Amino acid sequence: MIEFIDIYKAFGPKEVLKGVNLEVQKGEIMFIIGQSGAGKSVLVKHLVGLLRPDKGRVILDGEDITDLSERAFYRIRKKCSYVFQNSTLFDSMTLLDNVALPIRKHQHVTQRRARELAMEKLALVGMQGEASRYPADFGDGMRKKVAIARALTLNPEFVIFDEPTTGIDPISANIVDRLITDLSERLGVTSIVVSHDLRSIFGVADRVAMLYKGQFVLDGPPSAYRTTDDPIVQQFINGRPEGPMEV
Amino acid sequence: MSALLHVVGTVFLAVAETVGALTVLVFQLAWGTLRLQMDPMEAWRNLYKVGVKSFPIVVVTAILVGAIMVIQTGQLVAEFDAFGLLGWGAGFATLREVGPVMIGLMFSGRVGANNTAELGTMKVTEQVDALRALSIDPLPYLLVPRFVAIVSMMVLLTIVGDLTALAGGALTAKVLLGVEPALFYHSIDEYLKLGDFLNGLAKALFFGVAIATVSCHYGMSTEGGAVGVGRSVNNSVVASAVSIFLFDYVITYVLK
Repeated sequence: MIEFIDIYKAFGPKEVLKGVNLEVQKGEIMFIIGQSGAGKSVLVKHLVGLLRPDKGRVILDGEDITDLSERAFYRIRKKCSYVFQNSTLFDSMTLLDNVALPIRKHQHVTQRRARELAMEKLALVGMQGEASRYPADFGDGMRKKVAIARALTLNPEFVIFDEPTTGIDPISANIVDRLITDLSERLGVTSIVVSHDLRSIFGVADRVAMLYKGQFVLDGPPSAYRTTDDPIVQQFINGRPEGPMEV
Repeated sequence: MSALLHVVGTVFLAVAETVGALTVLVFQLAWGTLRLQMDPMEAWRNLYKVGVKSFPIVVVTAILVGAIMVIQTGQLVAEFDAFGLLGWGAGFATLREVGPVMIGLMFSGRVGANNTAELGTMKVTEQVDALRALSIDPLPYLLVPRFVAIVSMMVLLTIVGDLTALAGGALTAKVLLGVEPALFYHSIDEYLKLGDFLNGLAKALFFGVAIATVSCHYGMSTEGGAVGVGRSVNNSVVASAVSIFLFDYVITYVLK
């Protein structure tokens, strides 16, 4: 289980998170939604130690990981993968070597075996045919699929997806959604998905939490977002420029 | 007055912070190197990129350095008809001073700037964070291989540069002054000591350490997108050049 307890985070004078509380159960697919710049990515980066809270605690499987050292976080990151918003593939490597890198570094296998295992992960996202090409040859969407394959190489128990379907075509987005569902159903992987994609939110989420002005304004099943009277949630879900939400 | 003190204080703190960070980094890099904590594939890639790709420009620079030294020394040598000292004069200046400094400056502009730009781009596009998220420590994976490649290739290419500079000097002496290569080399052999050559190599070693550390530091501390990368590259090249002249002064003084 993942717990964020009373998390505060500011960058200079800008307070991004103001006492955020969230619990994510094992195997759950949790979506975090909100405006751009609301602090969704900031919140989830605390889980892998890429950011540290100014105040509050982060608990992973009962272990308080808030104050772990950078080195101690390497253990956490092996079981908790992060798929970045911008895919962050390494430009100097082929797609195959990008995916093989964490296998080569952590599983003590030969380069050849690492590449075989990487090819299996690329096949999960339908990119095995492009394995020998470089990230610069592809658009955002295809790079994102490879980044997802790379994040799955260490067979993590938790995966954080930061806008996994943004900028990719509907078919690829469905592949990603199905992958997230499969991970949860078949392997019990817990997923936290930062997203604006309403199709994904209402398609695969078990629970959705909406962040606004540094706090969650609604945390519940997707159906709650259709029935709520909260004008801020309604404005966001319906994408209306006019309303109480400060844009 | 208080505004002036504020500016002085701010600049002092910024310089102290940079020097402190560079000192910590150079010890981390040296410790990582001694313990061979580096990714072998990255080390190989960097050795190739830094060494093989820099080879032609080092050779061209060195030939010109040797030729310039002969032209400069040649005027004096011709005035006193002391052609037997031409090899020594040109060689002494090349091996001890001009060779390592010119190759160091060229290395700082070509390799150091490239290193900062590459690391800086990786930093602003979150590729460094991606490494951390994959439980891969950027120090042994990214930085130590670059440090090893830059330092070792700086020394090795200085040896190559010294030899080609002397060859370039001998050729220029023959063409412009009619001094036979045998006389040129006899002068080197007679008057130059091994210490002159090692003095230049010691400088090359420290220049390599400076270029590698400075370029890695500015690359890894890049912020602010493409503009930030440009600023880091600029700072890296300036700081490397200043470090080269500082080390040059200190080593020349200590090993005089």
